[in-house]
Amino acid sequence: MAEKGKMSNEHLGGVVRLREEQEKVVKDCEIRIQHWKKVSGDYEALNDRLKTLPDQLSYDITVPFGPLAFMPGKLVHTNEVTALLGDNWFAKCSTKQAQKIVDHRMKYVKSEMDDLSKTMKNFEARVGLTKDLENISSGKGDYIDIREDSRNIEAAVTKGRKRIAHKPNSKPKLDAILDLKEEEEDEEEEEEEEEEIKVEGGDTERRIGTITEEELWARLDELEKLEQQQDDQDRLSDNGDMNGDMNGEESSSSSEEEKEADAAPPVNGQSVKPSWTSAPHSKKPPCKDSIAEEDDEEEEGHGLPTISFSHTMEPKKVRINTGKNTMLKFSERKEQHSKKKKKNGLNNGHHELHKITTPVDIYRLFVDVKNGEPIPRKSILKSRSRENSVCSDTSESSAADFDERRMIGRSFSHDDTTHSDTSDGLTEEDSPTAVPLQPASRFEAFSGTVVEKDPMPTAVPHLTLAPPALPTIMERKQEEVASEVAPPQEAPKRVSKFKAARLQQK
Amino acid sequence: MAEAIQKKLKAEVDKYTQMQKDVSKSVSARQKLETQLAENNIVKEELDLLDTKNTVYKLIGPVLVKQDLDEAKATVTKRLEYINGEIQRYETLLKDLEKKSDQHRELLSGLQQEFQKAQGMAVGKV
Repeated sequence: MAEKGKMSNEHLGGVVRLREEQEKVVKDCEIRIQHWKKVSGDYEALNDRLKTLPDQLSYDITVPFGPLAFMPGKLVHTNEVTALLGDNWFAKCSTKQAQKIVDHRMKYVKSEMDDLSKTMKNFEARVGLTKDLENISSGKGDYIDIREDSRNIEAAVTKGRKRIAHKPNSKPKLDAILDLKEEEEDEEEEEEEEEEIKVEGGDTERRIGTITEEELWARLDELEKLEQQQDDQDRLSDNGDMNGDMNGEESSSSSEEEKEADAAPPVNGQSVKPSWTSAPHSKKPPCKDSIAEEDDEEEEGHGLPTISFSHTMEPKKVRINTGKNTMLKFSERKEQHSKKKKKNGLNNGHHELHKITTPVDIYRLFVDVKNGEPIPRKSILKSRSRENSVCSDTSESSAADFDERRMIGRSFSHDDTTHSDTSDGLTEEDSPTAVPLQPASRFEAFSGTVVEKDPMPTAVPHLTLAPPALPTIMERKQEEVASEVAPPQEAPKRVSKFKAARLQQK
Repeated sequence: MAEAIQKKLKAEVDKYTQMQKDVSKSVSARQKLETQLAENNIVKEELDLLDTKNTVYKLIGPVLVKQDLDEAKATVTKRLEYINGEIQRYETLLKDLEKKSDQHRELLSGLQQEFQKAQGMAVGKV
């Protein structure tokens, strides 16, 4: 509101200035008209004098002698005048001729005066108009000035910049954007902006599109960093959980494959323990997944080797705001992750475990077979995760097939992994959108029953960023999911339970 | 980076102000010519009012020099021509200057943006 006032004031200032200038012109015209009036009066007097001058042969006059003195004199040659024509031209002429000249001059003066008065009228009209405009723009008049300002665009720009600057964990790399906005505005928007960012991963991406490339990259870097942090955390917890079950590979995995490393733990744990798959995420998404945790607890109660997939509702909220394009990209990745996880869980029991030596390998497993040809998974939105989890037809895939797929999938998945590094921070939330349309995959891994509660469950919680690592991003989530804030504390407890269970097994 | 741009910007601004000065100078010169033209026009018309018996003087310095009327008329006409020529010259000059200053203004605004960008970058990098 204040801004509006200011802007209108500025606008008003412009109008006022315009009016002032116009008034100045009018005044100037008036002054000049006055001048010409005086001149014409002088000429009239001169004309009169010239008329009467030749009446007599001579006049007795007092002649001014210097500035102080007068002396008596006589005016002779009363019909003889020297006139200054202008430009230092003089002409000796009779009074009659002089009168003609004077008349001529009077004409000129009159035309000048006419011109001036015309100009003055013109500007007076303009002054009136300007006054009206002033009234309108100040909102006093009967009219409303419809005005659109470019504030939003600028705001978007500043938003982008600010967002980056505000991430505590990141060094702001760039800042090509000019700070055109007033500070107050920035501050105003800052808050909402941060909130937005937190909730709408995709949205931020979209906005970034409007910002400079540099910023985009900075953002991506940040996300990468966040992801790494998260991964580290996850790994820690996983390690703790599994107690070195088979985690040797994880440590060996390259940074590029870190994500897979996260996903890997399930793979490595061969036994299809019920609680096991879910355990990781129950720990990881402290901020998000109270629901998941509940599920986990249920599972724990089951004696059957059951993997239940739960999904959180929260992602949906996020998804609403997400840009479609970005979503696609990310969701694919996510899907793969989840698939990976599930498959790992399923596959390990049966075969192929030896083939999966590193998390990367797992990643490469995910290919579609069409017409007997392995095709890298392309569709993002179609998730086969449901079918996968059902595990009905996985047995059909032969080992050879599998290998083939792996080979082909390798290159593809490599690309994926690299890309996914940057995006994951934002993307997890999208997973719910993925609709499981795909036919079941052929990797049979798991003989137990899989109870699926939701198509994409594991991935979401698993990948969720841990709040402590990412204060800025998570803030909003925390606010929103206040009830879920508890999980962090809960998680450790449960972890310990699992640990205890595993220890017992051992 | 930012400093270099700033230097350049400053130089360009100086040039621009110089140009503006030129413009205003020629404008005022043109105005002067305009008034002279008006004056000479009046003189010419008034000379036409006189007849051959009238003597015409030209004030040169402190003295009035007698001139022939026809000669005076010719001189005034010539003077008018000269003034008209001058006015035309100034007109073209002004147009030229305006174009130049417009171009320069664009250049300046571009530079300014660049500069601000650079500044922003510098700030961001700190």
